[in-house]
Amino acid sequence: MSENIVIMMIGVSTFLGAMGLVALLWGVKTGQFEDRSKFIDASHFDNEEDLKDAAMMDEKRTQYKKKTKEHRYSPPD
Amino acid sequence: MIKEDSGDETLYFCCKGCQGVYHLLKSEGLGSFYEKLGDRTIQPATLAIDISSSQLEKFDLEGFAKRYITTDSEGLNTIHLVIEGIHCSACVWLNEKVLHKTHGVLEASINYTNNKAKVVWNPLEIKLSQIIQTIQSIGYNAYPYDPKLQEERASKTRRSYYMRMLVAVFGTMNIMWLAVAHYAGYFSGMQQSFKDILNVAEFILATPVLFYSGWIFFRGAYYGYKNRIVNMDTLVASGASLAYAYSIYAMVSQRGEVYFDSVTMIITFVLVGKYFEVLSKKQAVDTLDHIMGTTPTEATLIKDGVKSIVSIENIQVGDTLELKAGEKVGIDGVILFGGASFDESSLTGESEPLYKQKGDAILSGSICLDSTVQYEATKDASNSLLTSIVTLLETSITKKPKIEQLANRISGYFSTTILVIALLTFIGWLYATGDFEIALITAISVVVIACPCALGLATPMATLVGISVAAKRNILFKEATFLETMAKSKRLALDKTGTITEGKPSVVFEKKIADYDHNLLYSLVSTSNHPISKGVRSYLLSSYESFVEYPLMSLKTVQARGVEAVCQGKNLFGGNSLYLEEHGVLVGNKESDNTLFFFAIDGILVTWFELQDTIRVGSKEAISNIKKLGIKVAMITGDREQTAQKVAIQVGIDEVYAGVLPHQKASQIDTFHNQGEIVVMAGDGINDTIALTSSDIAIAMGSGADVALSVSDVILMDESLERLYEAYLISRRTFQAVKENLGFSLVYNFFAVPLAVAGFINPLYAALSMSLSSLVVVGNSLRIKRIGFKNK
Repeated sequence: MSENIVIMMIGVSTFLGAMGLVALLWGVKTGQFEDRSKFIDASHFDNEEDLKDAAMMDEKRTQYKKKTKEHRYSPPD
Repeated sequence: MIKEDSGDETLYFCCKGCQGVYHLLKSEGLGSFYEKLGDRTIQPATLAIDISSSQLEKFDLEGFAKRYITTDSEGLNTIHLVIEGIHCSACVWLNEKVLHKTHGVLEASINYTNNKAKVVWNPLEIKLSQIIQTIQSIGYNAYPYDPKLQEERASKTRRSYYMRMLVAVFGTMNIMWLAVAHYAGYFSGMQQSFKDILNVAEFILATPVLFYSGWIFFRGAYYGYKNRIVNMDTLVASGASLAYAYSIYAMVSQRGEVYFDSVTMIITFVLVGKYFEVLSKKQAVDTLDHIMGTTPTEATLIKDGVKSIVSIENIQVGDTLELKAGEKVGIDGVILFGGASFDESSLTGESEPLYKQKGDAILSGSICLDSTVQYEATKDASNSLLTSIVTLLETSITKKPKIEQLANRISGYFSTTILVIALLTFIGWLYATGDFEIALITAISVVVIACPCALGLATPMATLVGISVAAKRNILFKEATFLETMAKSKRLALDKTGTITEGKPSVVFEKKIADYDHNLLYSLVSTSNHPISKGVRSYLLSSYESFVEYPLMSLKTVQARGVEAVCQGKNLFGGNSLYLEEHGVLVGNKESDNTLFFFAIDGILVTWFELQDTIRVGSKEAISNIKKLGIKVAMITGDREQTAQKVAIQVGIDEVYAGVLPHQKASQIDTFHNQGEIVVMAGDGINDTIALTSSDIAIAMGSGADVALSVSDVILMDESLERLYEAYLISRRTFQAVKENLGFSLVYNFFAVPLAVAGFINPLYAALSMSLSSLVVVGNSLRIKRIGFKNK
């Protein structure tokens, strides 16, 4: 019985830690820590406007993709 | 100050440029830039960035696109730019915002630290030249760079090492607290069922550390095996995987102790050491990007009287080309028509522009300063000087002599010895006890206890501290191993111009013949950017108190000779003796080793100056200090024997090689090599670069030519030879610490390994001694910080 408790404790804590590690690795991999000053300074300017901006850029990209699909449709080969 | 009433408030601008930018931003709804800027000020926007459209056009040409633009499968274009004029994060914000709002730009991200931008755009909607123009319209400038250069690759390896290290640290830390329970159980007794739980948990944690983080060591060991070298990686990989394999056996058979904690500890410690090395390796050399970015990709070709812009790759020998003022020469050639002065400073380090006319050869990489010339290409693009220097450098960088590092050599012997001892232990125990299991455990414990940690950390810890101490004193070591190489060197070769001397002339002597109004001379020399004029000007500034700049009439500058003007009805002439004599001024026969500048009013000589390239402050002391360290100092210069000898005597150098051409400088370095010497070379111009690459350690002055900076191993930011001396001190101190660290870990092993052979080692002892030995190495390395310099 007490073995199960130990297993659960070790399992849960390691799992939680591993989640944190995976998040950190994802951050490193996507280059979020590349730019030290941006990491620190950009947070000053982070507001709703920037969110809109990011959404706008996303929109631009999807529109472009849509357009290229319409114009240059290539049949699957 | 420009005043402007905009309804409720009054605005002030320093210039039209800033006013333009303000209105542009306001109309785009980006007015909050000024709040974000805070109290900081930025450079006024130069409206001169009405750069002629021809300069913008080059961004849309094919040759340019081939070099810098990549097109992805979706038809989007990507370019990497370096943005000039960024001072703070608000500038970055502004540039990103403006680009985001530009139609057709799909991605724009700017790195805050190095001002490099990545822009993705749709070529059907916008042209690159328009994007550049947008950046210029708000007062910044952008030029492209090739991201394929080493720097990007370096940051990729750094990231990969960092991720591996994170996994290793996570695994080790978690295994450590499980191991604490294990050790407690070792002494007080523990039920087998709990032991199994801990074992399995440790196994799960150790597996990714060994195979993901430890992959680097397996790879290194494999390459070592292929080249028949036993290296550090072999020991780490074999030790860790042996311990891992045995631990799995112990876990499954429920007999003996597991060593998963040792597995992860070894990997983590050595990996941290390796990461330090990667970190210090080749820290971004943005200047190389700059020189590549400003290399011309097009030239104006004149064929049958028609001018066209063509990519320089398509130009053939014999083509006639046109070069406008301000353009950089892309192809070597001979002037056919016209004359202009050329700035060759990036090639020769010589700051004086040279006047060239019909029949003179011009070199790629130099800049045409003042007028338009037509010239005939004598070489094609790939054989032109600039390109061939770049290729030459690329080959010589790969051929750079590598001094074998002490730690590598020791770890080779060490690994072999330990592996042999482990094998003998196994055979011995098997023979003595006949028990296969005990023999295996003991043999493994030998490998584990031989603790490569201290040995692996010995060099990186010490060099890391050494590098940071050096950086605080404005000495940048680009790679950790250079410290050791420099410490071993006994030969220093110095360039003269720009290294021992300032590289710009200043007045050492004035001979007044008649009294004159110094303001006349001041006004005259202020009009010219020639180094001699500048030298005279700064001399005047230091010897008189008040200045009035008179308006000058009919000003004429004859490059490399002199200036003339009319002021208050007087004819002013300033220049060399030849120039003045041509204008009927009697100069007389003045002989000197130094450059002379004469000044005449209305045809009568009133004063003359002797100018000399001054020796950097403290050079003499620094050189004598360096000599005291037992280093042989030689001067290698392209200058005349006479001038070189004079400087050499002043700073106390006995060995002088004067009148040496760039490739001869390199062969002189090779001569030193043949005498079995490790050579440190300090220089600053492109004429030094070949010699720099062939030397073991290349040192460049912070203001040197871009190429010289990028091929150098060490950069002296504040350009004094005093720093060179300190660089020697730091490298020697660091190397000493490396030797101490290696010595310590060998001594440690000398005592620990026999214990392991005798079978006295238990897991707790192994873990403790490992941590302790590593701590000693770290502590000893930190002592480098206490190095003393003569004058702080």
